[in-house]
Amino acid sequence: MKSLIENRFSLLVLVLVALLALYGVASATQPQAVATPAPQMQKVPVASVTTVCPSPGDTSVGVVAPPGSRAQGTAALVTGDRTLATLDTPGRLWHEKIPASSPPLVITATGSMAAGLEVAQTRKEKSGRQRGLAGVRCTEPVASTWLVGPGPAAAEVTLYLTNADLAPAIAEIMVYSGEGPVVADSGGVLTLKPGENRSIKVRDLAPSALVLAIQVRTSSGRVTAAARAIMNGGRGVDWLPASAEPATRVVVPGIPGGGGKRELLVASDAEVDTLVEVRALTPDGTYALKGRELVEVPAGSVATLDLSTGIGGQPSALVLTSETPIVAGLVATGTGAKVDVAFTAGADPVDLGSVVADNRTGGKVTSRLLLTAPDMAGKVSVQVVPRKGEPGEPFQVDISASRTKQVKLPKVDGVFAVVVQPMPGSGPVYGGRVMEERRKGGPALTVQPLAAARMWALIPPIAESAATVLP
Amino acid sequence: MSITDSQRPHRPHTVTAIVVSHDGSRWLGETLEALLRQTRPVDRVVGVDNGSRDGSAALLTGALGSRAVLTLPRSTGFGEAVAEVLDKLGPGGGQEWIWLLHDDCAPDVNALRILLEAAEADPRAAVLGPKLRDWLDRRILLEVGVTVDRTGRRNTGLEAREFDQGQYDGIRDVLSVSTAGMLIRRDVWDEVGGLDPALPLFRDDLDLCWRVRAVGYRVQNVTRAVAWHAEAATRRRRRITASGDHPRRLDRRNALFVVMANLPLRPLLWALVRNAFGSIFRTVLFLVAKQPANALDEFLAFGSVFGHPIRMIRARRVRAKGRRQAYAAISRLLTPPGAGYRRLVDRVQNYLAGGGFVESEGRHQAVAASPHPQQEDGEELLTDAGVIQRVFGNPGVLLFLALALVTLIAERALTGGARLGGGALVPVIGGASDLWDLYRESYHQTGLGTDAWAPPYVAVLAVLSTVLFGKTWLAVSLLLLGCVPLAGISAYAATRSMIPGRWRRVWLASSYALLPVATGAVAAGRLGTAVVFVLLPVYAALATTVLAGERRRARRAAWGLGLLLAVGTAFAPLVYPLTAILGALAALAFPRRGVAVSMLVAFAVPVVLLFPWLAQLVADPKRLLLEAGLHQPALVDPGLPAQSLLMLSPGGPGMPPLWVTGGLIAACLLALLMRRNRMVIAVGWGVALFGVLVAILVSRTPVTSINGDVEAPAWPGVPLAFAATGMLVVAALTADRVVEFRAAGGLRRLAALGVVLVAFSTPLLAAGMWITEGVNGPIRGTVRDVMPALAAVNSAGGERTLLLRTSPNGLLFTVLRGRTPVIGEADIPVPEGPRERVRVATAGLVSGRGGDDARVLAAHGVRFVVMTAPVDAAISAALDSQPSLARMSLSRSVGVWRLTQPIAVPVTPPGDPWHSRWPWVQAALVLVVLVLAAPGSGTESDQPTAPQDLPKSRRELAPR
Repeated sequence: MKSLIENRFSLLVLVLVALLALYGVASATQPQAVATPAPQMQKVPVASVTTVCPSPGDTSVGVVAPPGSRAQGTAALVTGDRTLATLDTPGRLWHEKIPASSPPLVITATGSMAAGLEVAQTRKEKSGRQRGLAGVRCTEPVASTWLVGPGPAAAEVTLYLTNADLAPAIAEIMVYSGEGPVVADSGGVLTLKPGENRSIKVRDLAPSALVLAIQVRTSSGRVTAAARAIMNGGRGVDWLPASAEPATRVVVPGIPGGGGKRELLVASDAEVDTLVEVRALTPDGTYALKGRELVEVPAGSVATLDLSTGIGGQPSALVLTSETPIVAGLVATGTGAKVDVAFTAGADPVDLGSVVADNRTGGKVTSRLLLTAPDMAGKVSVQVVPRKGEPGEPFQVDISASRTKQVKLPKVDGVFAVVVQPMPGSGPVYGGRVMEERRKGGPALTVQPLAAARMWALIPPIAESAATVLP
Repeated sequence: MSITDSQRPHRPHTVTAIVVSHDGSRWLGETLEALLRQTRPVDRVVGVDNGSRDGSAALLTGALGSRAVLTLPRSTGFGEAVAEVLDKLGPGGGQEWIWLLHDDCAPDVNALRILLEAAEADPRAAVLGPKLRDWLDRRILLEVGVTVDRTGRRNTGLEAREFDQGQYDGIRDVLSVSTAGMLIRRDVWDEVGGLDPALPLFRDDLDLCWRVRAVGYRVQNVTRAVAWHAEAATRRRRRITASGDHPRRLDRRNALFVVMANLPLRPLLWALVRNAFGSIFRTVLFLVAKQPANALDEFLAFGSVFGHPIRMIRARRVRAKGRRQAYAAISRLLTPPGAGYRRLVDRVQNYLAGGGFVESEGRHQAVAASPHPQQEDGEELLTDAGVIQRVFGNPGVLLFLALALVTLIAERALTGGARLGGGALVPVIGGASDLWDLYRESYHQTGLGTDAWAPPYVAVLAVLSTVLFGKTWLAVSLLLLGCVPLAGISAYAATRSMIPGRWRRVWLASSYALLPVATGAVAAGRLGTAVVFVLLPVYAALATTVLAGERRRARRAAWGLGLLLAVGTAFAPLVYPLTAILGALAALAFPRRGVAVSMLVAFAVPVVLLFPWLAQLVADPKRLLLEAGLHQPALVDPGLPAQSLLMLSPGGPGMPPLWVTGGLIAACLLALLMRRNRMVIAVGWGVALFGVLVAILVSRTPVTSINGDVEAPAWPGVPLAFAATGMLVVAALTADRVVEFRAAGGLRRLAALGVVLVAFSTPLLAAGMWITEGVNGPIRGTVRDVMPALAAVNSAGGERTLLLRTSPNGLLFTVLRGRTPVIGEADIPVPEGPRERVRVATAGLVSGRGGDDARVLAAHGVRFVVMTAPVDAAISAALDSQPSLARMSLSRSVGVWRLTQPIAVPVTPPGDPWHSRWPWVQAALVLVVLVLAAPGSGTESDQPTAPQDLPKSRRELAPR
C-alpha cells in the first residue's frame, strides 16, 4: 500500500483507472430520457347542478337525466315558493305544462340526477303575439353569457336575468350593435339579490339597433341570462340560445334546411376590426360561399351576412375563423304567409355527450338532429328516452369529415328526450336539434344547438405542492 | 505614629514569640535570625515543629536551644500548635503579648519595637500586624490588613503585584491581619479562645480577628513594621498535611464558614440567600470557563457548609457569647457591597484583553504576563502595520472583496428586490419572530395543519435573523446570495494550518468558491447547499485538528465539528453520512489515542442536537438526499451525463460550461506526479473519488418530495463539493513545486507558468462566465405575493386559502393561512389524510362537477379559492359554475372566489408539548457544546499549570 502511494506513476494510474471506472458507472446508470405521457384528464360524474328556466309560464318543460346511473340523487323543481316535483329516477323524462305567469323555474339536482341533467322549455302558440314555436334550453348560472340576435328595431327583445344562488350577484349588461358598443344610461350594472329575477326590455338599453349582441357578465356572483325575441310584424317568436364564449374559431351548428332567410350575425368585443372567414358544412361537403367567405366585423360591433342563397337551403353548419375572438349567432326565418323564426348560435362540441330534453315527433311535428363533424369523421350514438316506457336502444350515426348529417328522430308516442354520446375514436361533433311543425301558413320552427351535457366533469391532474407560491 | 498616653498605668510589656515550622528549612534560618536580631528583643521564644522532615527541628533547636522547642505530630494545625505552646507556657510578667511567626516569615529588625509602640499608643488595640511584603521581590506588597465580604471573598485592597511605595502607610484599623507576624495580647487570646481548631488552615486568622473585634478590641495594621513572607503553603511550595482536602476547597469552605459563623442573625439571613445563589452562579461560571475542578470545589465547599447546620449553630453559639461590639463597627470594615460589581467589570475587561475569565485580584505572585503568547497561525493579521494597510494588504480580505464584487455583479438581477424566492426557495417573508414561533409551536397551523417537527434549520435562521435586526430576508440573502464570498473566505481561513503560502490559498479559495455547485445553488435557491458549501472547508480544518492536533485542541475541535455538523445537517442532511463515513475511515486509518472518542463526540453531537427531527427524517431515508427548500424536478438534470459529474458540475440551472473546471482537474491530476506529501495526495484524491461516487449514486436516485407530489433525482451538489475540496487541497499542497520550477528557469519555468495559467483558468473563467451570464435560474429578486390582499385581509380569524396554479404537469394547489409560508414551513410534512381529502375536493371543485366538495373545503377551514397567474379560462369558468363559490374578483393575473357557505375554522389541536420544550433543551445542549468547543480560559496544556489554579486565599503557613 505504502509503496503504491510512494510510486510516482502508480498513484496516477490508480486515480485515472478509478476515474474511468466512475465514468463507466455514471454512463451505465444514466437514465434514458423518458417522454412523460401528457397528463390525462379524468372523467367524473357531475354531482350537483342548478338550472333555471327563465319564463316557464304557459310552456311545457321537459326535465331528464340520462339513464344509466345507479347512484342516488334527486332533482327538485321549484318555481317561486312552489315545488312542482321532486325527481329521483335518471332516464325518465318529466314533462309537464307549467301554469301561466309562473316565476322562473329553478331545478336543483344532486347525485345521479345531476349527471347530465337537461331541462328545456317549449311553447307552441297558434296565434297571438307569441304565435310560433319557441324553445330554449334552461341554463346554469354562469359568470358570462353571450346572446346574439335581432335588435329592438326588428323585434321586441326581453332579457331575463335570474340569480338562483345564495350570494348576491352584480351583473353588467354590455350591448353591441351594428354600429358599435351601446352605452346604456344606467351604465348597465344591476344587483340581483339571492333568488331575485328581473326582466329587462332591451329597447331601454339600445332603442335603435337592428341586430345586437348582449353580454351579461357578473363581477361577483352568477346569474342566468336568456332573451326572447318577438319579431315585429308577427314574423314569429323564439328564444336566443346562449352563444359560445368568444373564440377565434366558432362553429354555428344546426342551421335548418329549407327555404327562408338565413342571416349570420358575428359580433366582436375586441378593440380592433377583424376579418372573419366563413365556411359552410353541408351534407354534401364544404360549400363555397360565392364571394361571401369573408365578413368584416368592426371593433365592438355586430356584422351581418345573408346566407339565404349561400347555403342553398341545405341543413348545414358554419365554421368561422378570425384573428380576434368572436361570437356568432344565426337567424333562420321560415317560409309561408305566417312565418316563424328560429335562432341558433355558436356552440361547443359534444365531446362529453349532449342531451335534448324536449322533443316531439308525430302528427305534423318533426324533430331532427343536424350533426356536423368539421375536422375528423364523427361517430355518435343516439338514444331516445321517451316519457313513458323504457329508454330505446341507442343507434349509431356516422358523420363524414367536413359534413353535416341530418338525422330524423324516430316516431315516438308523446314527448321524448334524446341522448347523444360520442363514441370512441370520434372527432369533435357539433350539432343542433330542429323541431318543425307544419302549419297552414307555413312551418313553425325552433332550433336548439346541442350543448355539452353536464354529465361528466373533467378533473385535471392535480397535486398539492408548496411550489404553488413560487413565481 | 505612636502617641503616648500618660494616663495609662505603666505595665511592662513582655513578648512571647512562637515560631511554628513545618518543612520550612528553606526560610527558617532567615526567619530565626530576623527574630533574634530584633531591636526590641523578645522576652521568651518558643519554637514548634510540626513533624518536619527537612531538618527544621534541628534548625530550631540550634537557634533556640532544645528546651525551647516543642515537637508535635505532622498533622497538627497552626492554631493547635500555638494552643499547645500556651498550655505549657505559664503566664509571663506584666502585659503579655504573643508574637506569632511562621517559619517563612522574616520580620524586619524594628518590627516588634514598632508594633509594641503602636500597642502602647492605643490601649484598645489587642491585635497588631506588620505590613507583609514578598519574600523574593521585596518591594511587592502582600498585605496591609485583610477584610472579607459577605460572600466570604477575601479582599486585601491591593492590586496584583502592587509595589510598596508607602501608599498605604499609617496605623489602620482593619478587620483582620495575618497570623504571620501577628502580635496579640495574651489575655485577649485567652478571652476569645484562640484560633479555632475547626479551622486548621485558611481563614483562622480572620475568624480570630473577627472575634477579637466582636469583643470590642481593635485590630490594627502597623505599616511601619514590615515582615517578608514567602506564603509557602498558598503557593504550594510545600505540602499541606493538616487537612486531606484540596486547599482551594478548604479555603472556600472556611471562608463561607467564618462569615456565616460570625455575622449577626439579620445580615446572616441575607448572606445565606446571597451565598446560595452566588455559589451556584460561580459554579456555572467556572464550568463555562472550563475549570471543572474549581466548579467542583466551589460546589462542595458550599455543600459542606450548608450541609452541616448543627456545626454551624454550635459555632455561632460560641461566638455569640463574646459578641459585644455592635455589628455596625465590623460591617464598616467589611468589603463594601459595590466591590463585587467593580470586580466583575475588572474580570470582563481582563477577559476582553485576552486573559481568562478568572480573577487575578488578590492572588499572590500571579504571573503578570499572559502565560501563552497567543500564537496565531494567522500570521498576517498580526503584522504591525496600520489598520488600513493591514486589512487591505491581507490576501484573504482582498479575495473576499473580489469575490463579493463578482457576486454583486453576477447577482445584479437579484439584489435589491422586494422578495427573494424561486427554485427551491419559497419567497422569503416574515421576520425572526415568525421563525421562532414556527420553531416553538407545538402544532403547526400552517397549510392544513401538522404536528410534525419543524426543521431545525429554522432555528439557525431565526438566530441569524435575530442578530440581523429580525430581518429574515437579510439572513437568507446573506447565506444564499453571499455564499460565494463566504465560501471563499472560509476556505481561505480554514486552510491556514494545512497549506502554507497565501497565494496558493487564494487560488484554492477562489476555485472552491466559484465551483459550479455554488453558482448552481444560488441559481436554484438552494439555501441548504449554500450553507453546507460555506461550512465544508471548516469541517475539513476541524477534522484535521481532530485527527492530528494536540489532544485537548483535538477534543475541542471535535465538539466544534459536532456543532457545525449539526448546523450543516439541519440544512442538508446528506452532509452527515458523508462526513461520518470519511471520519470513520480516517479514525481507522490514522489511529491515535483519543481520536476514536473525538470522532464519536463529533458525530454524536448532531444526532443529539437534531434528535426528534432526525428521527422523523430517517423514517424516510431517501429524504436524507434532499435539503432545505422545495424539491422540484425542474431544478435537477434527470439524465445528468457522466462527464458532467466528473467535471464537478451537478446539473440543473446556473451551470457554467463543463470545460470551466477543466483547469482545476488538470492541476489536480498533475499533483499526482509530485513526490512530496504522497500520503496527503492519496487521501485527497480518495476523498475526491468518494465524493464523485456518492454524487453518481445521489444523482441516480429518484426521491419523492416531502409531501409526495413530485419525484425527481436528488441534486449531487454536496458530494461534488466534497470531491472538489479533496482535489483542491491536493493541488494547493503540491503547488510549492511550481515555485521551485519557476526558480529553476528555462523550460521548467515555462512549464511552471503553464501550470499556473491552467490552474488559475478555473476561477477566472468561472468568475467571467458568472458575470456575463448573470444568475441564470428560477430564483428571482422580486417575487409577487401570490396571496391576494383581499383574501389576506379577510382571513384574520385563521381562515385558509386554497391557492391554485396551472403547471405543465397539471394543476398545483396548496393551502395557505393568511400568508404564504415562511421559510421552513413548506418543509414540514403534512399528514396524508387531510391532504388527500382536500386534493379530491379541489379536483372536484376545479372540474366544476358541483357536489359537496366545497363542504369538505369548508370543513378544513378554507374560505377563499385563489387562482394565480396564468388564470386558466376553463378553470375559472368551472369555479364560476360552482354554486358554493362566489367570485370576488377575476382578472388575467388573479381570480378570487369565496365560499358561500359558513366555514368551520379548525381549532388548534393540543399538539405535542415537547415541541415547545425541546427548543429549550436544544438551546441548553448547544450552550454546553459551545462551552466545550470554545477555547478554555485556562492555560493551554503545554503551559505548566502553575499558580493559576491556586485558591484566592493566601493563608500560608501550613501547620502541621
